[in-house]
Amino acid sequence: MSITESDVKERPACTTTSLSNYRWSDPPDENKWADCVHCGMCLESCPTYELTGQEQHSPRGRVHLIKSVAEGKLQVNEQFMDPVFACLDCRACTTACPADVDVGGLIEEARGQIRQAMPLTGYKKAVSKLFLESLFPHQQRMNALGRLLKFYQKSGMQKVVRKSGLLKVMPDHLADMERILPDIKEPVRKKYKGEKVINAKGETKHEVALLTGCVMDVMFSDINEATINVLTRNGNDVVIPETQTCCGALHVHAGEREMGRNLAKQNIEAFKDAEKIIVNAAGCGCMMKEYAELFREEPEWQAKAQDFSAKVEDISKYLHDTGYEKPQAEMKTRITYHDACHLAHGQGVREEPRNLLLDIPGVKMVHMPDAERCCGSAGIYNLTNPEMAGEVLKSKMKNVPEEVEMISMGNPGCMLQMAMGVQKYGRNQKVVHTVQLLDWAYQKEDELRGERDGIKRSQNK
Amino acid sequence: MALKEVKTNDKHIRNLANIVGGARSILYHKEDLLAYDCDGFTIHKHLPKAVVFPKDTQEVSKLVKYCSDNHLPFLARGAGTGLSGGAIPVNGEVIISLVRMKRLLHVDFENRRAMVEPGFVNLKLTNSISDKGYYYAPDPSSQYCCTIGGNVAENAGGAHCLKYGVTTNHILGLEVVLPNGKIIEIGKNGIPDSPGYDLLGLITGSEGTLGIVTKITVRILKNPEAKQTVLAYFDNVSDGSRAVSDIISAGIVPAALEMMDKTAIEAVEAAAFPVGHPRDIEALLLIEVDGISAGINEQISQILHVCENRNVREVKVAKDESERARWWANRKTGFGAMGAISPDYLVQDGVIPRSRLPEVLSRINKISEESGLRIANIFHAGDGNLHPLVLFDARIPGQTEKALAAGSACLQVCADVGGTITGEHGVGIEKREEMRFVFTDEEIKAQTDIREVFNPDNLLNAGKLFPSPGRCAEIKKEMKEAAL
Amino acid sequence: MITTSLHTDLNSLLPEGQIITGESKSHPLGNGGFITVFPKTEKEIERVLKYANGYEKKVCVQGGGTKRGFGGLMETADILLSLSKYKGIVEHTAGNMTITVKAGTPFHELQTYLAEHQQKVSLDPAWPEYATIGGIIGANESGPKRLGYGSPRDVVIGLQMVYPNGSMIRTGGKVVKNVAGYDMNKLFIGSMGTLAVISEVTLKLRPLAKYESLMLLAFPEGKFESIRSFVTSLLESMMEPAALELLTPSLSETLTGKKCYTLAISFEDVESAVHYQEEFVRSIQPVQTNLDILHQKEAGAFWEKLYTIGPNGAIDSTAKETEAAVKIGVTNLDGLHVLKESALMQDSHNLVIEGHAGLGHGLCQVNLKGASDDVLQAILQLRKFVEQLNGYLIVRHLPYVLRQQLSVWGEQPCHFYLFEGIKAKVDPNRILNDQRFVGGI
Repeated sequence: MSITESDVKERPACTTTSLSNYRWSDPPDENKWADCVHCGMCLESCPTYELTGQEQHSPRGRVHLIKSVAEGKLQVNEQFMDPVFACLDCRACTTACPADVDVGGLIEEARGQIRQAMPLTGYKKAVSKLFLESLFPHQQRMNALGRLLKFYQKSGMQKVVRKSGLLKVMPDHLADMERILPDIKEPVRKKYKGEKVINAKGETKHEVALLTGCVMDVMFSDINEATINVLTRNGNDVVIPETQTCCGALHVHAGEREMGRNLAKQNIEAFKDAEKIIVNAAGCGCMMKEYAELFREEPEWQAKAQDFSAKVEDISKYLHDTGYEKPQAEMKTRITYHDACHLAHGQGVREEPRNLLLDIPGVKMVHMPDAERCCGSAGIYNLTNPEMAGEVLKSKMKNVPEEVEMISMGNPGCMLQMAMGVQKYGRNQKVVHTVQLLDWAYQKEDELRGERDGIKRSQNK
Repeated sequence: MALKEVKTNDKHIRNLANIVGGARSILYHKEDLLAYDCDGFTIHKHLPKAVVFPKDTQEVSKLVKYCSDNHLPFLARGAGTGLSGGAIPVNGEVIISLVRMKRLLHVDFENRRAMVEPGFVNLKLTNSISDKGYYYAPDPSSQYCCTIGGNVAENAGGAHCLKYGVTTNHILGLEVVLPNGKIIEIGKNGIPDSPGYDLLGLITGSEGTLGIVTKITVRILKNPEAKQTVLAYFDNVSDGSRAVSDIISAGIVPAALEMMDKTAIEAVEAAAFPVGHPRDIEALLLIEVDGISAGINEQISQILHVCENRNVREVKVAKDESERARWWANRKTGFGAMGAISPDYLVQDGVIPRSRLPEVLSRINKISEESGLRIANIFHAGDGNLHPLVLFDARIPGQTEKALAAGSACLQVCADVGGTITGEHGVGIEKREEMRFVFTDEEIKAQTDIREVFNPDNLLNAGKLFPSPGRCAEIKKEMKEAAL
Repeated sequence: MITTSLHTDLNSLLPEGQIITGESKSHPLGNGGFITVFPKTEKEIERVLKYANGYEKKVCVQGGGTKRGFGGLMETADILLSLSKYKGIVEHTAGNMTITVKAGTPFHELQTYLAEHQQKVSLDPAWPEYATIGGIIGANESGPKRLGYGSPRDVVIGLQMVYPNGSMIRTGGKVVKNVAGYDMNKLFIGSMGTLAVISEVTLKLRPLAKYESLMLLAFPEGKFESIRSFVTSLLESMMEPAALELLTPSLSETLTGKKCYTLAISFEDVESAVHYQEEFVRSIQPVQTNLDILHQKEAGAFWEKLYTIGPNGAIDSTAKETEAAVKIGVTNLDGLHVLKESALMQDSHNLVIEGHAGLGHGLCQVNLKGASDDVLQAILQLRKFVEQLNGYLIVRHLPYVLRQQLSVWGEQPCHFYLFEGIKAKVDPNRILNDQRFVGGI
């Protein structure tokens, strides 16, 4: 059945489901776009609108298109897909919107429809399947990939590849990514496997569960390690539930909502005994706070998801709320802070990480203009839309102050992207996670204390 | 991303694409064009033929010339935040989008002026010069995203125009592409009073019907030395509006004097930037005075005194800049905030002599009761510029028409008391018919005569600003009947 | 004779006593009429124009006559339409801060009335006792306080006019904010009466300043660098002068008795704020300058004097020498160069030249007095100089004979065809103030 425009005109201009060109379950939620009055306050917040100047690539434009499909004015087709998938899902529009329209939610729901109406084919399908279905949800495979990368780095093969000129024939964005591969270390899930609880140093005040994340634990296990250190130092027993899995954010962003739901269910089960779920990846945290959105058609799970989401907290917010020991050692460094979209816009966490950094003696914070602007990482957006992601990164890097030594942030995707920016534009900043800096400050303090104690001890002798 | 090449049988599309350098600078697929079927006024929608994105004046001129030579209707568009439908392609126009012409070309602090391209966003100008202590005064509520080109077209106002004037008072020079493609410079070098008829003043506020502005020289101002903001809550609207008159009569020229009524307060408090206003008050005033520090306190205490005399429930002065900023964010996002309490709204923009405020408010109240639609009021009380927001749900058959009729009735009230139908949003397509509330046929003809001088074929943004004879009267009648 | 038939015709349109024949046939400033009419109602204006339009009679429009020497290549039109008897306040509600007045109301009368309500029209034109509000708006006249308060285009919110075909047309309205239709007010402000006869004007008002002071900062050494750097730092500061006018030594002598470049700085605000700003000026006062401060009435008296130093077309000149006045527009601080050049010409052209420049807005007024050839030469040279600064010069006052020897308005702009188009639409028979404006419009 297809509805032509002339059919539409003859019917009253109200929306009934019969007009809608969304044919699958879980369609974009009418109540979400009903709030949009097309005022345009979102325009300037949107990185893709800034770059293209085109309104189908703006939040209100996308909402308008999504609504138009429901009204039967548009079909779910390639032309509709383009603007919907070009969205970075950075949520900056949600912050800018006077009426709190959930543009991000609408986009994800629309992507779900598109993926079902127009399944991926060919190369794109293969890549998507590889990452989303075969890799991220499977910790062993992720670990294996980690080992492979580690081997690639340690064996000298990386050097060979870099010398060989192979990078020159790779697609640009893949070559860029290769250049910034972080140093692969042992995943914490492997390291603490079998340990039921990692005990607080000193008196236990709280018990928390940690989401180790799929990419995080392979690529940035040192950040997980730092998170555990910081948590235990501040009186938290840390549990790493065995059955946890990938949060599903990337799947949901990609329109693979069914997969997302499966992962969500698994995590809801895995963390059901936890009182607090600590996340150090903004993207994961944001997704997990929004699990309920996935279950609009499964009320039972929706209720469970709501309970689950209430327990999810970003590490910086958690430390801020429950209190933490201020480090004593001086770090003497100039840094700037980048707001990960899913932390600032997604979870409203802005001041907490900054305060945390400012509590480290010797840290000088330099303001980054438009700190809340997306870096272009946006999950795997930099893989699927390399061109736009590159442009977004370019304007982001322009705002990184020259004089800083480090760029701190709270999301692994951003870290990879920003590291790529630093490499690409010949900058020399170190890209760090907020919690890492705190951990280093604690370590330095311990070292100094150790030295001091050592000196004292030797003096006492 | 956009396709790399233009694939269409329409030769005009191909030719227009060639002028702007190819597929990345033109939209012509229905799916893309749909995002351009309306602006901030969403009641009427129409698809454009194409949207083109020129990068400089020369391209604009070529596009205009092409359209003119080939009798293609065309219009210019900025951010599309206009509230009267001025950028809606009612004739299937080619939209010339100016958003990629967004450079700040020049700032001359010594002589207090700046030159921008039309796509440059209003607030960005202030942000670009604030470190030197300067700002650009016109501050429409949409200033976060609206373009200065659009501001010129609409002669945009804003909360602070009570003291500092509207856009036209801040425009020193323009480069304009006329509807025949000719490029002219008026207000040369930004020097005031250049000999000849004041085309600068005529084009500003002409809603894009006389030419397309491609460069704008604006006046920039030094920041006031001091600024204080007062928030006052009233238990009844008439006390609030009398306080407004008292403040003005006391010889104070506030930088801004804003008012919101109960329904408006409900919306802003339910939306993204709540301040924590009490929900049971009937009106609030937001008053700002600025100027020389030594004189501010005297004015503030006078204002507090006036409010006390008018039975204010609570009145407070902003503690610091962040509190002030929160009050303003709450106020400036007021229109969009309506989304939080109603699926659709229609904002009106009447102006009345300040002294008639209490009377007009009660008549608007009556319109609300009669139509069964809620009407929120947010307004620039200092200069009598009302923004009744008619709340409705377009999904309910008949409500749109009812809302339009109620909006129109509000404007009739404004006209009846000696006011006007629009203070800053423009006529667009929305208020064409209401032009008759304030102008005779002869007076309207005097204006269309001027349009004919600039735009003889009426290809540029046709169907805006002026009532079309005959037909509109029927629609009007239908609307009224629908409302009954 | 033509005049007689004209007189007869007009007699049927206007009451007895409102028509005078031949009063101003060959006035040295031109812009006269064989017959002068003094309408007292709008209907009468309509009748006169309808008649003139029907019979293609040329009409010259006049208020108080102060600008009689401003433009115009006609010595005598058929009808001189004087609005001097069409005056008075139409509507004023103090709380609305707006007023509607008839065009022939002298400015001073209007201000005196408003002062009773602690209000004012924020304009400061020359010869306020004579100049009518209609004339001020028609010629777009402003004074030094434009810096603080703007010009006619900033204060006029509505006009009521009679078009050449006799129809009554209103533009704008009675409220301070209005974007209904084109901003037609602007078209008529400064149109030199070439489009329509303004009958009523609605203006936005301001409260009278609670306190005012005038600081006269004299630079005996006349060092331009020093003036410039002082002005720059004052403008850079957050002070809010209502006027910042530089006077040539000659003008300064006339007004203050001191023959040196002098800056006249005006502050208007509540008393504490005025004194605070005076203090600031003192704190940045350059060395080797003298500072005098006048308050309230004394300050007012200074400005009154400044407003009456130029030629006045309404007073028959007794001077044997030729008097001229020009208005110059340049980029703000270039006013310094304009004054310097004008002062130099005083000697080189053997003239008396008095000038003042608004350094915050870029408009300068220069009055010249001397032999007619010298005056003409000086104007042309000054125009050349100003054009090098990308500015313009227009001649605000010059006898009729001399006006034919130079272009009062300067070169036509490239968009002149739009001016012609507008004129042709509104006044197709060219009956109103023919040849008074740019390019002979």
